[in-house]
Amino acid sequence: MTPEATLGPADTPADARTLSRFDRLVAYVEDLLNLIAALAIFGLMFLGVLQILLRKSGDLLTYLQQTIPSAYDSLALEALRPFAAPITGYIDFVELSMATFAFLGAAYTQRLGGHIRMEMLIGVLRGRALWAVECLGTLLALFVVGVLVWYGWDHFMRAYTNGDSTIDAEYPTWPSKLLVPVAFGVWWLRLALQAIGFARLTIAPKAVPVAVPLMKSVSAQADDEIRDAFGSQGVRAEVGEGAPQPGADGDAGSGPEGPREGRPDGQSDERSGGRPR
Amino acid sequence: MIFGFTDEFTIGMIGVTAMITMIVLGVRVVFAASLVGLLGVVEIIGWQSGAALVGTIPHSKSVTYVLSVLPMFILIGFLAFHAGITQALFDAARKWIGWVPGGLAVATVFATAGFAAVSGASTATAAVFARVAIPDMLKYGYNRRLAAGVVAAGGTLATLIPPSAILVIYAIIVEESVGRLLLAGFIPGVVSALIYAGIIMVNAKRDPESAPSVSGFTWRERFASLPGTFPIFAVVLIIISAIYNGWATPTEAGALGAFVVLVIALFRGMKMSTLREALMETAKLTVMIFSLIWGILIFVRFLGYTGLPTAFQEFVTSIDAPPIVILLCILLGYAILGMFMDAIGMLLLTLPVVHPAMMALGYDSIWFGIIVVKMAEVCLITPPIGLNCFVVNGVRPDIPLSDVFRGILPFFIADVITIGVLIAFPALITWLPNQLIG
Repeated sequence: MTPEATLGPADTPADARTLSRFDRLVAYVEDLLNLIAALAIFGLMFLGVLQILLRKSGDLLTYLQQTIPSAYDSLALEALRPFAAPITGYIDFVELSMATFAFLGAAYTQRLGGHIRMEMLIGVLRGRALWAVECLGTLLALFVVGVLVWYGWDHFMRAYTNGDSTIDAEYPTWPSKLLVPVAFGVWWLRLALQAIGFARLTIAPKAVPVAVPLMKSVSAQADDEIRDAFGSQGVRAEVGEGAPQPGADGDAGSGPEGPREGRPDGQSDERSGGRPR
Repeated sequence: MIFGFTDEFTIGMIGVTAMITMIVLGVRVVFAASLVGLLGVVEIIGWQSGAALVGTIPHSKSVTYVLSVLPMFILIGFLAFHAGITQALFDAARKWIGWVPGGLAVATVFATAGFAAVSGASTATAAVFARVAIPDMLKYGYNRRLAAGVVAAGGTLATLIPPSAILVIYAIIVEESVGRLLLAGFIPGVVSALIYAGIIMVNAKRDPESAPSVSGFTWRERFASLPGTFPIFAVVLIIISAIYNGWATPTEAGALGAFVVLVIALFRGMKMSTLREALMETAKLTVMIFSLIWGILIFVRFLGYTGLPTAFQEFVTSIDAPPIVILLCILLGYAILGMFMDAIGMLLLTLPVVHPAMMALGYDSIWFGIIVVKMAEVCLITPPIGLNCFVVNGVRPDIPLSDVFRGILPFFIADVITIGVLIAFPALITWLPNQLIG
C-alpha cells in the first residue's frame, strides 16, 4: 500500500513543497509503525491458538496417563510433557506486547482522520473560520500529546533505571513502555504538520490543502465504510445459483465489479470533496 | 494550581463544560478528554505529581490482558468479509426460509443476523448485504424500498449478537464480566431479528406482490447449502463454549476464531495484499479504540478527584420522578447524541458519569449495557442521518436515499418497540448469562 499522503507531489503548490515533503516522510514512518502494530495483532492470533493447543495437549497427556497408564509408560509419553505445557508467562508477554497495537498506529490513524470526533458544528463551517477552528484544535492536541511524550518518557526511564519487571514471568517492562514516547513522538510530528497545514490555510483560505486530513460528508463516510468492508479487491458477489431467474431487471451495476470499486485509495474523492476534516 | 481554583467540585464542573465545548467544536474525543483530564488533575494536585500521574495512564491502562480480546474480535470482522461467508449465508437462508411470505427479505434478516456473529460492524454488514441480497430481491420483483430497508436494518444486528467488540468495551468501562455481556446480547439480537422478520411477513401477507415468496428447493439443495456457513457456527461455538466452559480466555477464543476465518478466507483465494489491508485496517480501528480508552480514563481519573459522579448520582436519585422516566430521558439523550457521534465514542464519553447514576436507580448493569448499545444501533437507521442508510445508498446509487429512508421506517418503529420490550422484560437480557455463568 502506498502512503496515503494528502496530495501527490505533482499537485503540490509551490509554497508548500517543504511541508509536503515532510508530510510524505512522516507518512512513510507512520505506515511502517502501523504495519508493525498489524503484524503484532497477527502474531497475537497465532500465539493464542498455540497456547490453546499446548494446554489441550497437556490435558490429553494427563488423560492418557490416567486411563491407559501401561501404554503411557511403555511409550515414554512423559518425555513429551515439557512440550505440552502452556507457554509460561503468556499473559505477561501478551500484556507487554499490547503496547504495539495500542500506540504505534496512532499517528497513522491521525493522518487518515480515524480518531473519533463530532462533526456536527465544524461540518457547517467554511473557509477561514473552519481552518482557524481546526488549527486551534490541533494546537490543543499538540500540547497534550507533547506532555504525554515527555512524561511517557519519564515513565519509561523509571522502569529502565529501576530494572522493573513483570510479577510472574519477570520480563523487563521498559521496552513496552518505550513504545509510548516513540509512537506519541511520531503522533506529535503528524499533529505539528497538520497544525502548520491548517495555519497556512487560515492565512490563505483559498490555497490548495496540504498535509491536512479532509473532512467527509456522511455519504463520503459511507463510501469509506464500503471500501473498508470490501477492500480494494472487492468480494465475489455472484448471484445465487440454482434458482429460477425471471426477468433480470433492476440489477444495474451490481456485478462482481461493483460501482464503487477501482478508485485509487480514496484520494481523488477526498480532494474533490474539498472540505477539510 | 494553574488557574487558582480551590474547590474540586467547581473545577470538575468547569472541566466537564470545557470538554463538552471542545467536543462540540470538533476536537477529537481523545484530545478533549485527555487535555481536560490532564489540566484538571494538575489543578488539583499540582503540575509535577499531576503530569507524572497522567503520563503513566496511557501505558498502564492499555496494557491489560482483558483488552487484548478487542483486536481479535476486530480481526475476525475484517477477515470475515473475505471468507465468502455472506453469499453462502444468504444462499442457505433463502433455500431454508424463502418459502415464507416475503421470503427473500426474511432470509436477508437471518443471513445478516448470522453474519453479525463474525462481524461486529453494522455499517460494513449493511454494505456487504446491499451487494449480496438486494440484486436478488429486485430480480424477484421486491419493492426496492423494502429491499434497501431490510439490508440497512439487518446491519444493526451486528453489535448485539456475540462476539461484539462494543460490548467488550462496555464491560471494561463499567468493570463487568466480558463473558456475561457477550452472552446477554444474544437473545436481544435474536428478538430484534424475529421482530424484523415478523414485520416483513405481515406486510408481505397484505401485499404479496411487493415481496413474493421463493419456493421449490429440494431438501437435498437445502442441506447442500449448509457447509458454506460453517465458519459462522465455528466462531460462535468457539466463543460461547469458551465463555461457558472456560477452556480458553476470551482472547484465546477470539484468536482461534480469527484463525478459523483466516484459513477459510485463504482457502477461498484471499490475496496477500488483501490480507495486509485487512490487518492494517484492524490495527487502525484497534488504535482508535485504545486511544479513546486511555483518553477517557485520564478524564475519569480527574473526575474521581472532583466527586462529580457521586454528585450526579445523588442528583439523579433525588429527582422526584419514577426511575423509568429518568431512564427514558437518558435514552432520549443517547438517541440525539448517537446521531452525531460514533457509538463507541458515545459510550466511553458518557458512561463514567451515567453508569453509576443508573446503578443507583437500581437498574442492572448488564441490562443497561445492552439497552444503550441497542439504542446506539437505532441511531444508525434513524432518518435523516442514519449512516447505514447512506451506506446502502452508496452501494446501490440506483436506489435514492429517500427510498432507503422510507424503507427503513417500519424497522425503525420495530426497534423502538424492541427497546420497549427489553425494558418491560429485563429477563430477556439477563436470563441467558445467569443460566450459563450463574
